[in-house]
Formats: sequence, C-alpha cells, structure tokens
Amino acid sequence: MTDLSQQTFPFHMGEEIKKAVVVGAGTMGSGIAAHLTNAGVDVYLLDIIPKEVIQNGGDRNGIAKAAIQRMLKATPAKDPLNAGFMNPNNASRMTPGNIDDHLAEAVRDADWIVEVVIENIDIKRDLFARIEALKKPDAIVSSNTSTIPLKTLVEGRSDAFRKHFVITHFFNPPRFMHLLEIVVSDETDPETIRIMREFGDAKLGKNVLVCNDTPAFLANRIGIYFMFRAITETIEKNIKIEEADAVLGHPIGFPKEGIFGLLDLVGIGILPHVTESLLQGIDDDDPFCAFDHEHGLALIHRLLSDGRGGRKSAKGGFYRMRKNENGTKQKQALNLETDDYYDIGKLRLKNIQNAKKHGPRAVFEHDGNLAQFAWVVVRDTLLYAASLVPEIADDIVDIDRSLHGGYNAKWGPFELIDQLGMQWFCDRVKADGIELPPTLQIAKNRPFYQEIDGRLCRLVFDFKTHTAEYAPWVRDEGVLVLSDIKRASKPLITDFSASLWDIGDGIVCLEFHSKMNTLDPSTLWVLNQTIQLLSLEQSPYKGLVIYNEAKNFSLGANLGLVDAGFKLAKTPIMKACLLSSVIENRMYKAVETLVYQGQSVFNAMRNAPFPVIGAPNGMALGGGCEILLHCDGIQASGETYMGLVESGVGVVPGWGGCVRYLERCQLGQLAGKIKGGPVPPVREAFQAILMPQFSVSTSAQDAFTKHWLREGDYITMNPDRLLYEAKARILTMVENYTPPEPTRFQLPGFSSRAALNMALDDFYTKGDATWHDVVVADALAEVLTGGDTYVTQELSENDVAQLERECFLSLMKTPQTRKRIAHILKTGKPLREDSLASDKAKTLDELRASRPKTSLPYRSLDGKPLSGMDALTLRFMAKLTALLMSLAK
Amino acid sequence: MKQAVIVEYVRTPFARAVEPNSGRNKQGQLAEVLPDDMLAVLVSELLRRTSISPSDVETLLTGCVHQEAEQGLNMARLVVLHPESGLPNTVGGVTVDRFCGSSMHVIADAKNTILAGEADVMICTGVQSISRIPLAGWNPMLNPKIYGGHAKGFLNMGITAENLAERYQISRLAQEEFAMISHQKAAKAQDENDFESEIIPINGLTFDDAVRKDTNLGKLAGLKTVFKQDGSVTAGTSSPHTDGASAVMLTSQEYADTRGLSPIAILKAFASSGCEPEIMGIGPVEASKKALARAGLTMADMDIIELNEAFAAQCLSVLQEFERQDMTIPIDKLNIHGGALALGHPLGASGARITGKAARLLQQLNKRYALATMCIGGGQGVAMILENPKVLN
Repeated sequence: MTDLSQQTFPFHMGEEIKKAVVVGAGTMGSGIAAHLTNAGVDVYLLDIIPKEVIQNGGDRNGIAKAAIQRMLKATPAKDPLNAGFMNPNNASRMTPGNIDDHLAEAVRDADWIVEVVIENIDIKRDLFARIEALKKPDAIVSSNTSTIPLKTLVEGRSDAFRKHFVITHFFNPPRFMHLLEIVVSDETDPETIRIMREFGDAKLGKNVLVCNDTPAFLANRIGIYFMFRAITETIEKNIKIEEADAVLGHPIGFPKEGIFGLLDLVGIGILPHVTESLLQGIDDDDPFCAFDHEHGLALIHRLLSDGRGGRKSAKGGFYRMRKNENGTKQKQALNLETDDYYDIGKLRLKNIQNAKKHGPRAVFEHDGNLAQFAWVVVRDTLLYAASLVPEIADDIVDIDRSLHGGYNAKWGPFELIDQLGMQWFCDRVKADGIELPPTLQIAKNRPFYQEIDGRLCRLVFDFKTHTAEYAPWVRDEGVLVLSDIKRASKPLITDFSASLWDIGDGIVCLEFHSKMNTLDPSTLWVLNQTIQLLSLEQSPYKGLVIYNEAKNFSLGANLGLVDAGFKLAKTPIMKACLLSSVIENRMYKAVETLVYQGQSVFNAMRNAPFPVIGAPNGMALGGGCEILLHCDGIQASGETYMGLVESGVGVVPGWGGCVRYLERCQLGQLAGKIKGGPVPPVREAFQAILMPQFSVSTSAQDAFTKHWLREGDYITMNPDRLLYEAKARILTMVENYTPPEPTRFQLPGFSSRAALNMALDDFYTKGDATWHDVVVADALAEVLTGGDTYVTQELSENDVAQLERECFLSLMKTPQTRKRIAHILKTGKPLREDSLASDKAKTLDELRASRPKTSLPYRSLDGKPLSGMDALTLRFMAKLTALLMSLAK
Repeated sequence: MKQAVIVEYVRTPFARAVEPNSGRNKQGQLAEVLPDDMLAVLVSELLRRTSISPSDVETLLTGCVHQEAEQGLNMARLVVLHPESGLPNTVGGVTVDRFCGSSMHVIADAKNTILAGEADVMICTGVQSISRIPLAGWNPMLNPKIYGGHAKGFLNMGITAENLAERYQISRLAQEEFAMISHQKAAKAQDENDFESEIIPINGLTFDDAVRKDTNLGKLAGLKTVFKQDGSVTAGTSSPHTDGASAVMLTSQEYADTRGLSPIAILKAFASSGCEPEIMGIGPVEASKKALARAGLTMADMDIIELNEAFAAQCLSVLQEFERQDMTIPIDKLNIHGGALALGHPLGASGARITGKAARLLQQLNKRYALATMCIGGGQGVAMILENPKVLN
C-alpha cells in the first residue's frame, strides 16, 4: 500500500535531496530532522555520546532517541516547539545515532548534511573537516548557525567543499516558521543554490530567501535590533512590560505576544549569543551600537543566571503563571526594577483600540509616555531597516518577507512605513531632528509599494544614480497569488461573504471573505450562481478551485445568525406580543431551509459537469470541512487542520458531512485501513465526529490517516504554491470530466445504534461524556447507522441526507443545543455540561427519548443548483444575512 | 459407574494484548500468532504426552468468545484440519461461545458425552486472541429490545465490577491488596517453576508476561479508575487483556485404564446458574452451590479452589457472599498459583486453564477435592468439582 500521506501533486521540484544527515539533536536540529521526514527524506539524526554514557555505559544514541520520543509526544496545539512530525509514522524515516559511531555510514550516502551543533567555531570546523573526508563529492553541506559568518565556517576547507557549502538558517520551530534563509558566498556553486532553494521551497514549504553573508543575515538583523531597542527603551522610560508588549504587538503587525512575550516563548537564552556575535560582525558606527544595549543585555543575563529563561523554565521569564488558592490561574509580569512579579489583567489602552479601527498610525498619534516610547522604538527600527538597503539585500521585498516568515510579522518594515504613510513617517522623523537615510530620501515621499496598472510594484533603488523606480514584483515560477488577480480584475460573481474570480485558463476561484470565512446563505448563493454559470453550455469556464488567502480556510457555518434568531424570540418585546413561539417556529423553518440549501448546493457542486478542487490552508472546520468533502479532489496545504466539529455545538453535520465522511470511511475500509463488516466504518465516523478533539487533523498528512483526505488528494507543502498547484491539477481533469457516481450505503441499522449507545453509556459513566453528549451521540448514531434500516437494505445518499436534516433539526429543538451555540459564540469555547450532576432525574434512555422526533417531508437532492422558488429564497436569505452582518458590525 | 477423567493439561503462556482497534501502537507478544496455530501446538503436545492414538479422539471442542475473522468458521474443525495438530480428518470439531465460561463448558460437555458412552477420548480447548479480534468483535450489533431494558451492563464488565464493589462495599484498597497478592502468588509460582509442566512456549514466549513481580500498593494506588468517574476499579484491579490458549485431554476411566494412562482428576460434577447481568461477577456463588450439591459435597470438603479473577472486586464479593452463607473459603486454598489478575484472562481459554490447574494442584499438593468456578459476562456462573483419583483410592 502506498503511503498517501507522503504524496504531493506530481511537481518534481526539489527532488535531488533524498537522504540527509542532521548533526545535532537539540530542539532545532531534531525539528529540522523531523521536518525533513515530513518532506519524505530519510534522515540520520546524530548527536554526541553523553559523557555519563561514556563513563558508565548506557545508550550511546540516547540524545537523538530522546529527541524523537519528545517530538512524538507533542501536538501542534499544545507544544508547537516539539511537534515536528506531521505524522508519527514519519519517525520511521529517522535513524537516531551518534557522531562517533554513525557519522561515516550516515554521511556516505547523504545528499545533504546539515550541522546544528552548538555555536562554537572550533567544534563546527572540526566536524566539517570530518564530513569532508566522508561525503559524496557533490553532497551539500550546510550549517544552521545564526551567528557565525560563512567565510569563517569554511576556513581550512577545500574549494570543492566551499562550492557545496551554504548556511541554511531555519527559524524555530522549523516546521511552522515559514522563513528559510540560505546564505551563500561568491564561492558557492549556483547549482548548489538552486538545489537548496527548490528543496526548501517545494519540499519543506519554506519561503526561501537567498541572502548575503552579512551579520545575523536578514530577519534577525532587524529583529534583534527591534527587540533590544525595545528592551532598552522599556528600561529607560520605565514602561511596564505588558504595556510595551501591547503596543509593540498586534497594533504594529507584530505577533500578539509582543517583544517580551515572544522572548519568553522562544526562550530568553538565545539572545546573548546572537547579540554578541552580531556585535562582533557589525561596524562600530552601526546604529545598533548607538544606544545603550548593555543595559538590556545585563537584564537578560540577570534573568538567565536566575534560571528565568522563559515559558519552559519553572520560574518563568518576563511573565509567569501563578495558581491562585482557588485553583484559577493568574498571569504575572516582571517588574524590571525590582525583579518581582505583579498581577496583570486585561489592558484597555485607547491608542490600541484606535489602531484596531484606524491602523497602526493611531498607536503613535496619542499623548503620553507609552505612545512616545512606541514611536521611538518603531521609528529607530524602521530607520535601521531602511539603512540596511542595499547592505543586506537589494530588494526591499526580501527584507519585508524575512520578517513575515521569520517573526510572523504582518508587515515588514517597508510595508509598515507604507501603513503609517510615507510622508507622515518622514515628516515625523524630521521633526525629531533625525536625518533620513538614503532610501527614504530617494523614495521622495512615495510609498514603497504601489499598484500600477493592476500590478503590485515596489521601489527598486539605484544608489549610484540616487534614484528609485517602481517595478512589478514578479512572482516565482509556480506561484499564483489571488490578490494579484483581484488587483487586476473584477469578480465574476460577488456577494457579502464570497466572490468568484477568473484565475485564467478557464479556471475560476471561489473565495470566502466573511469574518473567519464562516459560511452562510450569501456563500451558498455565490456557489449556486457559480454552478449555474459553469454549467452553461457556452460557459468559457471549465473548472472551479475553492481557495482563499486567509490564515484559515473556513471556520464553519455562521452560527451567529441562528443564535440571533432564537435570541430575538426570547426578547421581552416578542414575549409581550406573544410572538416568541411564532418566531421560534419561523426559526426552525429557516434552519430547516438553510440545512436543505447547504445540502443541495454542495450536492449540486459534486454532481456539476465540471471538476472542483478544494485547496485549504489552516483550519477547515465544520461547514468548511463539509464543502471540501464534496469536492472532486483536495489539494491541501501541508498545514491543514480539517474536521467535523459540529458535535461541540450540539448538532450533527448537516450539509452532507455525515454522508461524505461515511463514504470516506467506507473507502478507508476498502483500502484496508478499517476492518471489515458494516460497523467499523460507521464506528470510525461516529468516533471522529463525536470527538473532534482527537479527529481534527494536525496536518495534511495526518488528514490522510483520519480519512479526511483520500486517494487522489494531494499535499502542497508550501502554501504560496497552493493555488497554482490546485489550478494545474484541475487543468488535468477538465478533459472528458464526468461527475462521480452517487454512493450506495448498506448501513447496519438500529442494532448497531444500540451498540453505539451502549458505548456512550460507558463513556458517560466514566465521565468522558456529558448528558447532552449522550443525546447528540444518539442523533449522530441514528444518521450514521442509517436509522430504521437493516444491513440487508440499500440506502441512497438522499436517504442519509434526509436523516441528516431530520437529526440536525431535532437537536436544534433541544434547549441544550441552543445553549451550546450561544456559549461558543460568546466565549469561543465549547460548552460542557456538568456531566453527572445535571438531569440525574432522567435515565440516559429517557434523555435520548426526549430529543424531539422530527420527521420532515422527504426531499430528494437532484444534483442541480437551486432554481425557481428555492433560488429566490436563498437570494433573500443571502440579502438578509448581509444586512444582519452589516448591522452587527 | 462410568467416569470421565482428565489425563493431561497444557496451555500457552498468556501474553498481554492490545485490542486491534484501540488506536494504540503497542502490540502484544502473541499478536502475530493465529488462534488456531496456538491450539494446534497444544493439541499435538497433548497427543505426544499421552501417546493416545489420534484416531481415538472423538471430537475436538474449543471454547472461544467473539467467533469471527481468524477466530471464526468453527475453529475447532479447522484445528483438526491444521497440519500441525496431528489429528486425522475423522475427528469432529465444535466451537462454543459461552463468553468467559466457554472452555469450562466444553469440558462439561465432553464429560457428559463420555459418561453417556458416546466417546472415549475428547480434547477440550479454549483460545482467545484479543490482539486480533477486539472484545465484542468488529461489528457489535445488539437488538435494542434487549439493550436498554434488562441487559444494561451486558458488555461492559468493568461496570459490573463497580456495581459489586458498591453493593458489597469493597474498598479500593481491599481490591488492590487482593490484586497484589495475586501477583505475588503468581510471581512466586514462576520463580519456583510451578508452571513448567503446563506452559508450552510459543513464539519465543515462555512465561505469562502480565505478571508484575514488583507491583505494590503504592503503584496500584496511583492508577486511575477506568470505568466509572469516582469509581474504585482500575486497570490494576481488573484482569489484563491477554492472548492465549489452553487444552485438556479427557478420557473415560476405562480407556485410561486399558492404555495405562494415569488420570490427574475425575470430573465429579458441573453446574451453571444465571444471575443479573449488572452483577454478573457474583455468578460463581449459585453455580458452586449447585455443583457441590450434585457432587454431594460441601465447601468444607474442598481442598483447592480456583476462582477466576475477572476483577478483584468481583472475587471479593464472591468470597463475602460465600462467607455470609457459611461457606467461607479459606484464603490459603484459593488460587494458589495466582489468578487472572496476574496471569491474564484470555476469555475463551480461562475455563480450561482453571480446570486444568485445579487438577494439577490436586496432584501436586496431594489433595482430594477441588472446585473450579468462574463468572460469565451477561450474568452467569459455572462450576466444576474435581476429585483426585489417587487420593480416592
């Protein structure tokens, strides 16, 4: 059986590297090694033999083995620094070993050897000398140093070695941080650069920036300056750290943790090393030397010597969590003067609230210390970045992108200046009595980025002639950017929550753009129109990609609308007018209609005469997952987190999710991944939908294991390439396309439902299910086992869809489900009933029986887009949605 | 009067098992051994040890729970056809499911066939591969008319143990002490080679790997309850999931005499009794009383008692109930080489194990009477009375 989770759509970029060696099994080294296995590379992970093992005996490969075990335990949500494996099976590609015993056998066949040992030049040089003697002549060697210049590393090595040597500078954690800096020199062979660039891009999914051998390279050069400038200024201006983080986080496009929070997260310990070597590398007139960073450094050393290294330290770092006597947690911040901690709560700062509405400039257009502090830090950092062109990079795009990928910043320095307004920024700098660096002088108050003729352009500088001209930013081969298309064209169809774009070659792209990309009647309407448009005989469009550029593909159906309707029914006015039950009944009718609309439109998409590819990145949950399950194929970004989470809000998937997931589990059974008989696929689906905490995929590879993805689905490791590859793939499908046959089901019926309910009783007794879980599970079991059926009867997709609607509605009629919906909207967290205490009066069977039995008139999904009255209703509901959502804003 | 006797008893080591649909990556040491392969090894060993002509065997009986997949298709007949069992095609095969009582049931069945004069030699076996076929099988389906009414707790045995613990007020500590003693007895028996005569190594495994020599009250106290929130039953006080097989050879007394075989036990009496499914673990009480009455004996006559340890709480409840009815079981006669809490409980194989073990202990300790009894999921108990022919004479 082929391992589907390793399958990427047949693009053959970056395939030169098949075997690799990672020397150094610390957090970074093991993280790189794990990510290499994610890319399908066989890896040796080597470290030293621990001293005590040499003396007393023991496992000579202990360090590497422990690293693998640590990573196998971690999950992306709880421990992203260690969650290196996209799929635990990938660990089988990794061979743990030690340098003394295994370096020779490991290096002999390796295509790439990456060194991730401690930042000690002698140790590194010694290692390179040993590797040179062992490696294949054309094998590439790299160092992951963040501090030592390339030219120093290769001293004493042959020309041939130097040709095949680069610095590959990953950011921690290597799986999740998008940036990979590849540092090269004049001596580096262009072929070496090409191989590493393509491998890093296509296989590891990184934004690869090839850069010069300058101190700290791109991202850290600016990032470290920013952090130190902030630390120093915080000390000098006597700013509270939580306030400093509040202004230097989200409002200016930096991660929400801010400076101090981020340092806690990555570990304060990394700072002294990188700083010292940065200082060694830069000239005395570098602006980094212009302020008193010793102050900041002293603080860092003081914390470290006291064992306060950040979140991973028991003592905490700049922040720490304390448990109160009543068991609640209290966050505390460090007082930089006294080294004590004090309690902090939610901050309400006016300039931050303004920045949310009006952009980052609002942070600084404010009186008071904090605004002035933030201004000085950001001003100096932006000026520093501007002064580094062209020293560290010729193209401002590279610098901006390095901060996107290396620090998860929303805007790089030049983008941030544009956000602030070039003129405003320059004026304010001049008002402070500071001379503008050449870049800003040459720009002459023009923004760095500008849209010209529908193309995104940026200033390209010529420092000899002291001029700068706009030139289009040309994307890499194999990268298609939706916002480029949006800039240059008008949507074919558009509404409040979604739009349809022509992405060329007869392919269209459906984009969601509601809040959190939730799906609602407006989305369904655009999709319905899309199907009609593409189904026309003379339609120039022949394929549909569902894709968007947001952080998350879609967080599911918009429950706010439903919640608002039921709340309206309960308002005193409606009660007084005796309208409560009228509205409630209207709402049930509306919910029923909405469920039917979703099922119909998704079903029509599946049966439409053109192929559909879903291309998710990030979270695709609930309804967002259901639409994907109806596509002909899924082209998933490496980091795709998909699953049906409906049970958390007390309902079953209602837009065909049960039907399609059941179908996938049956396919899994055919592929031998699920055992035989009518029950196992049902049980698999039942467990997955009931326990999203275990079933939402933790990566696209994991989604194959969990049956969200199936044979014929593919992974694109680099999200930047997702749209291009989805489009390329659909182009191979348009010729002679026929829609898939409907699936027939032979479901095990009520006797299997009884057994599933029995399992739920056990869960309940164990305290793993609440009393309402028991009710939701019964409804889910009813759908998945086929209701009142026998294993000898065959059911159609329509039969199961009918059950899905009925069970969805019956749950919607339980007050507890509506409570769950209201709760998640209010708090963002699922509601868990007090499991044993509540409703003890009723037995579980009575509880199950209390779910209002709902039988709806049988409606068949005909596989066509909604038309006539149904389409008008959808249009009306879409308009209503838009109205309600605008009012809510 | 005709008599049915046990002439030989063997078993495989019992190996910890992980259910194949548990989602866990671990695997037991017998996970890759098919259940009929285990049986074939045991049957050929019985034939070898007794030198009985294979064609004298009337029927091979097998007790096994959840008969499907590799455990299905009337496995007993498949074992007859198995090239390694050494049995000719003329031997019959019957597979029986009486849950945990399956292989004790087949012994009773074989006994009766012999007593009726319809067979001279019967091979009685039991097997369970929890590693290959999950408990309740791959396709649990149940008539809702039964479940939801009478049969609550039909399948979740842990809850029945919790119910008993509650009803008989068995503390968690008492359960843990009982479990610890079972491990200690089993470990001691392992150290003293007491299992050597019965265990046939298979797949490189030579001993029961669920026995924890080093367990103690502290470790047991640290375990979480697994069946009920605020309950008292833990993995440490439940019999572990295990794979394994066991087998006994039964003949008529006359057959044994003419072939010069030396029987290790006479099967005196058997009885079964039903009880509430919710407290299935109490089943041995009524079953034992009936069997003793049939044998015309009392509990005080019993020298050896094998009470299957499904759960510590269940055993303690049975002991308490016997005590209440003035049938106190002296603790030094109980499960002398340890019980299922330590050795494991491969459902289909346990009945033949405790019956065979009781017979062996009669010989080893030179005692006269033994009782082997066990509870059965769904609410039953079975009991067998054995007598040592050597002490008898």
